Amino acid sequence: MLRLTVNGRATEVDVDPSTPLIYVLRNDLALNGPKLGCGRAQCGACTVLVDGHAARSCQVKVGDIAGAHAVTTLEGLGTPEAPHALQAAFIAEQAAQCGYCTSGMIMQAAALLAERRGALSEETVREALDHNLCRCGTQPRILRAVMRASRQQGA
Amino acid sequence: MTIALSRRGFAAALAAGAAGLAIGFRWQDATAQQAAPIGPAMLRANPRLDNWVRITPDGRITVLTGRVELGQGVLTAMRQIAAEELDVAPARLELLSGDTAETANEGVTAGSQSIRFGGEALGVACADARATLLGVAARAWGAEAAALTVEDGVILGAGGRRMTYAEAAGRVSLVRPADLAARRKPAAQQKVVGSSLPRTDIPAKVFGQQVFIHDLRPEGMLFGAVARPPGYAARLVALDMVWAKALPGVVEVVRDGSFLGVIARREEQANDAARRIVAAATWQDGAPLFGGKGVFEHLTTAPALTTTIHTTEAGAAQPARTHRAEYRRGFQAHASIGASCALAKWEDGRLTVWSHAQGPFPLRGDLSRGLRVAAEAVRVIHVQGAGCYGHNGADDVALDAALLARAVPGRPVRVHWTHAEEMVWEPWGSAMVVKLEAGLGADGGLTSWGHDVWSFPHSTRPGDRVGCNLRSAWYLADPVPASPIVDGALPNGAAARNAVPIYTVPGQKVTTHFHAAMPVRTSALRTLGGYFNAVAAEMFIDECASLAGIDPVAYRLRHLSDPRLVAVLQRAVAISGWQPEPVVMGRGRGQGGLLIGTGLGMTKYKNSDSHVAVVARVAVDVATGVVRVQKMWAATEAGRAVNPDGIANQIEGGMVQATSWTLMEEGRWDAQRMLSEDYASYPIIDFSHTPPIESVLIDRPDLPSLGVGEGSQGPAGAAIANAILAATGRRVADLPFTPERVLAALRG
Repeated sequence: MLRLTVNGRATEVDVDPSTPLIYVLRNDLALNGPKLGCGRAQCGACTVLVDGHAARSCQVKVGDIAGAHAVTTLEGLGTPEAPHALQAAFIAEQAAQCGYCTSGMIMQAAALLAERRGALSEETVREALDHNLCRCGTQPRILRAVMRASRQQGA
Repeated sequence: MTIALSRRGFAAALAAGAAGLAIGFRWQDATAQQAAPIGPAMLRANPRLDNWVRITPDGRITVLTGRVELGQGVLTAMRQIAAEELDVAPARLELLSGDTAETANEGVTAGSQSIRFGGEALGVACADARATLLGVAARAWGAEAAALTVEDGVILGAGGRRMTYAEAAGRVSLVRPADLAARRKPAAQQKVVGSSLPRTDIPAKVFGQQVFIHDLRPEGMLFGAVARPPGYAARLVALDMVWAKALPGVVEVVRDGSFLGVIARREEQANDAARRIVAAATWQDGAPLFGGKGVFEHLTTAPALTTTIHTTEAGAAQPARTHRAEYRRGFQAHASIGASCALAKWEDGRLTVWSHAQGPFPLRGDLSRGLRVAAEAVRVIHVQGAGCYGHNGADDVALDAALLARAVPGRPVRVHWTHAEEMVWEPWGSAMVVKLEAGLGADGGLTSWGHDVWSFPHSTRPGDRVGCNLRSAWYLADPVPASPIVDGALPNGAAARNAVPIYTVPGQKVTTHFHAAMPVRTSALRTLGGYFNAVAAEMFIDECASLAGIDPVAYRLRHLSDPRLVAVLQRAVAISGWQPEPVVMGRGRGQGGLLIGTGLGMTKYKNSDSHVAVVARVAVDVATGVVRVQKMWAATEAGRAVNPDGIANQIEGGMVQATSWTLMEEGRWDAQRMLSEDYASYPIIDFSHTPPIESVLIDRPDLPSLGVGEGSQGPAGAAIANAILAATGRRVADLPFTPERVLAALRG
């Protein structure tokens, strides 16, 4: 049994410690936020926070984050009743088409916003999200949403 | 079938076909409607009112559409159309979409046809329902129906009389054929249609609620994976089944000919087992792809079906000179962020499949033939997947799941392809060669226009009535072959989509050289041949303008007679601050170490739908050949805009996607299969290369809504191509415009 802390809650899973974290989050813990994309850390769809830092959950072995580490997924960021600034901003900017990359975008941006308080420049956001891919072409809207959230968080 | 088709019924069938109902058409429905030649084709093909809208005495209002959400926002737009006609708040409507047991058969959600055809049918059906309920109240109150109004589902009459839709629905049956003559509201009275209602699916997507097919976790679900052959033509010779069944977590191994799959308790166990089985099995290689030749050589030299599909009369003017050019594009992939996925469950010989395919009904037909069961025994329910941008692996994986689930009756089996599996095994967008030839008069004006296109198929979707277009069916011990392949006919075309010029030129001739045999399987990638035909034609007209010594905008205006195209062109030119200047071949426009150029591209998508003009400004690095798109501008006109922000999202997204196609994307293969299997070997655009975009919409409430979802790819690619031409004064004829190719052109 491995002890995990996900979205502030302690839980135990009975899996091989070498199992990629994404499978445990999605299939054992029934979390929808992190998405399985390329499985090779090239697209960012599976991004979650591990101790506040963005991590590709397709590359993290569950055994490596068992114990004292804290995992946060999209579900742990906010709720419809109490949305995170990024969640509210993605709705306000209608920053999605299919929405499959959305969770990874928001989690990557959440790490950035936690690191750099206050309004962010477009250049800073572009750089931070450069390894998160969107195939629908909503990058301009995502940029606007993250900048909007950074302004609100700074306010 | 022995039902004699009346001429009118046949016409209805043709109309339905033109509206995207590729197959699965029920002839008896057509004949039943022969007394009602009016009304939307999609409604004539699916005439039951309760296939579109259900209003029940318990107060529930359900709107049904055979169209499916692909991330294009179509369910939000359908909700707007229904809310408008019913006079009910959009949020009160329940929406059902793409379920073979419930909704209308609208064929495939593709080709920018949902709003134009499906939306019109839904609008008329809802108008019928509203008029019927109003009639109930009018009769009850002895009033004129025209004197009544509706406020959020409550009918209001004189003297404060009120009747809810629920109450009215209790006094009349809405389970009947639709009134095809029902009248929709005039545009001037529309309030919900035409507004940018926020997308109804986005909140669930930003909060991690269950949205995608990947999120379905029914009780007792097992995980499946397919052990793919090492090449498309390879066949399985031997596998130690006892060893395979003993792999960790494996519940069952399924072998049927060269189809080989595994079912396991955990997803990663299924994937690991499939990988190990591929390596341990003995395979026999097939013949090398393209006989070892290059694909462009194959396209232009291997036997093809040559057909001249469009001609116009020659003009009086004699050409002073002739311009000829050839353009090529390699294979391009859908490259969805989420690979294809399906769930299947067999119970008592009946199959239920949850799928993100674009056509639930066509998929059902091919599943039934691939599995050799009656279509009535198969139900397909649409659940959203990652954006597909055309025919990717979504249909194929449904058969994979069904073949595996058959080994474990009563248990749902989920198959989620790996990204590498998607890239290698999905149908690719066809490589193409386009040759153009034009006569130029003494004044530089066009005197003739010839467009030849060499191509593999652009639609090998499920849906014919003969074979099975789901890949694994071809690998079974008793294979079910694919349906015969034909090119899509004009007016919209497939290989020749957007090959008929938008310009007014005499002596037009469009010829296709079609390869039905496809060593690399190809099918619909957003716009089919439309993107590349438009890019090639728009590059060519800029070259003609240059030969004539005329600015590209002025040259186009000289040859345009469609006022809607003129309007978007002038708008795009205005917002981009276009500076008229003829392109001079051989002369670049240098600024420091960069060459800067602005280019234009425009189309009327499919020659029938949205009008889009795009301007792009690029910088070309002289030392490296790297092209950077600095900014793009777009003007769009697509008739009545149902949801302006939804249109903006589609147009701008298409421009970003086309920038990626145009500058970066080309598949590579070896003798056996495609090698471009991840985002390292097949890179797509990232944030740092996404250009800033400014786009404007010209709304025309006085005109019917036109398809817009694929409107901007061709113009955007063309604008980039022409900006490179303007910047460098050199032709780069091969897409994508990689640094190597641009550098070669600069040094050539």
